[in-house]
Amino acid sequence: MAINLAGGGATVRKVRRARLIPLWALILGALVMALIGTSPHYAGTDSYVVGLIGKFLCFAIFALSVDLIWGFAGILSLGQAVYFGIGAYMVALSMKLNYTLENATRYGGNIPDFMEWNGLTEVPGFMAPLLSTPVAVALALAIPTLLAFIFGVITFKRHIYGVYCAVITLAEALILERFIVEYQAYTGGFNGITDYSNLRGAPFLWVIIAVTVVCFLGARVLTHSRIGTVLKSIRDNDVRAEFMGYNVANYRIFVFCISAFMAAGAGAMYAAWVGIVSFLDTGPLLSVEAVIWTAVGGRATIIGPFIGAFLIRGLEFVLSGLDIELAGRSIAEYWQIFMGALFIAVVLWIPDGIVGTIGNWVRKRGTGTLGQIREDQDRLAHDRQHDWDPAGATKPGEERV
Amino acid sequence: MLQQLFMQSLNGLGVAGILVIAAAGLAIIFGVAGVINMAHGQFIMVGAYVAAYVDSQGGSMFLAIPLAFIVVAILGLVVERGVIQWIYDRPLETLLATWGVGIIIEVIMKFIFGTLGQKVGWPDLLDGSIKIFARPPHFPYYRVFHVALAIAIMAVTFYIIYRTNFGLKVRAVRRNRSMAGCLGIDTAKIDMLIFMYGSGLAGIAGAVIAPIKAATIDMGFSYAVSSYMVIVLGGVGNLLGIPTGSFLIGEGETLLAFRYNTVIGQLLVFLAIVIAIRVFPRGIFGYQERR
Repeated sequence: MAINLAGGGATVRKVRRARLIPLWALILGALVMALIGTSPHYAGTDSYVVGLIGKFLCFAIFALSVDLIWGFAGILSLGQAVYFGIGAYMVALSMKLNYTLENATRYGGNIPDFMEWNGLTEVPGFMAPLLSTPVAVALALAIPTLLAFIFGVITFKRHIYGVYCAVITLAEALILERFIVEYQAYTGGFNGITDYSNLRGAPFLWVIIAVTVVCFLGARVLTHSRIGTVLKSIRDNDVRAEFMGYNVANYRIFVFCISAFMAAGAGAMYAAWVGIVSFLDTGPLLSVEAVIWTAVGGRATIIGPFIGAFLIRGLEFVLSGLDIELAGRSIAEYWQIFMGALFIAVVLWIPDGIVGTIGNWVRKRGTGTLGQIREDQDRLAHDRQHDWDPAGATKPGEERV
Repeated sequence: MLQQLFMQSLNGLGVAGILVIAAAGLAIIFGVAGVINMAHGQFIMVGAYVAAYVDSQGGSMFLAIPLAFIVVAILGLVVERGVIQWIYDRPLETLLATWGVGIIIEVIMKFIFGTLGQKVGWPDLLDGSIKIFARPPHFPYYRVFHVALAIAIMAVTFYIIYRTNFGLKVRAVRRNRSMAGCLGIDTAKIDMLIFMYGSGLAGIAGAVIAPIKAATIDMGFSYAVSSYMVIVLGGVGNLLGIPTGSFLIGEGETLLAFRYNTVIGQLLVFLAIVIAIRVFPRGIFGYQERR
């Protein structure tokens, strides 16, 4: 039964559901993934580039997790690396414990070297479950999700979001980072966890690719479903979403947990692939970096975080390899300045990111002549001005801070 | 034991004093303009380097404080005019842009001063301590100085906001921006001046922190994060939020650090804040359920 809401006009606009994946994207994606997956065979399993690709894929999933909450639900978390890091540490600890069981350290002990340095003689009891790989993986995924749930219940249920949420998550990441450095007997401290037999090479790369594809599809299904529509409405105007009868807090908690789960999975694979985990992988820096990958690639698009992560990380890698001097300093030293400028530029000039900007452009080209486009834009701007106020309508007697 | 506890709580008061100085600027900017400056830590760091420079030229601490205020206020002016003025309506993205500003400031300072920390000396006047008890620990003069300066800064800020013509405009803009604009108040200019004033306070914070921590490139970040927590806990509905939040956080961290260790102290205070905001979602002195 179609109800004509427009009144008078005969046509009811049909909502066309997007296909799960457009055919061209499927083919392109399969090609890229095959290229990446077979890279160990022609580039060599131990080649640096193959190592980087696996790493970048993990970062891309991590960025996707940021995109889910920031791009689609409007929650800016500056501490997403907490979940990434906990996942990574769980797996790294498990692998390290198992590794040292078989390979004694330099001092002959069968416990991780950092425990030995700190005067422990045996693996502490609470770490014993980590010896079993399935348990470790389960914990690596479950603990961050649970943490995210608790955090979500505390904050979102009390209407704490936006800037407050960003600042609190930032502090969370900073404190976890310090905690790991302080309790070095259990976490490896400043040096992190190194020297364990990480999974390198084609088989595990295929695992990473499979997980990447699953995350990609999962995110696509989620954001194109009803839930995704509600999330977007919450992002654009949470007051109205609440008026429509949606439980805004629960939607936020849900997507936050999904995102934490994804980040934890990325972290777990990262630890297994790279073979070194340090406190930096849990800190504010990585968190903010993931946000900027998302922003550069294109927020509220699913392929954007992938492109952003690969582009920025790849560029960093290329630049650090170059041997060019600029004003007496190697060009790699300017990388940070470039990153800082990128933060500003992406906010000021390309808020939609690369993918979003290209998408807008394509859409505009598809809509007709230049005059029509301009007319459309004018109307859109007019609508926005009257219809859309990010802070919500101000009620009398209320102050805007 | 009791004596030590007393001394520690006095130390906590000193820490709270530093937090007040560091957080006041941030809270005023957030309260009026609604943006959080992620480069606040780097502003503090620049203030510390100004103090280090003055010290290396043989200048006194008391010269460094106003100089740090001026230098960092000008830096704030540049940042506000260059970046933030375009994005006041997008507070979340302001966080990202100012984070970028922070990175750039950090690298430039690294290029100029190198990565090594710079020691800053105290003026002789503050070299010593009040001997409350016969045995150490004594209460050093610089802690007294921090508390006194914090009170002075709060008093000056209170005077500016509540007793001057400029402050009246600031409060008008903060209450109702569009209405204030209609009445002929240049809201953009108010934002700019408030941003300069807040940044300048960050510079003062850096200048007084420098002698106890030495000026290093990454010194500001942890103070900045503590300042964000002060805002979250204290709220920006009222100027009293800053000293209240600073006092609770400073005392909490110091006493818990004394009982356990620094990290546990920070962790427990963080958890306490997270629980506290369930009761006070906009801080203790925030607007109730203001949106």
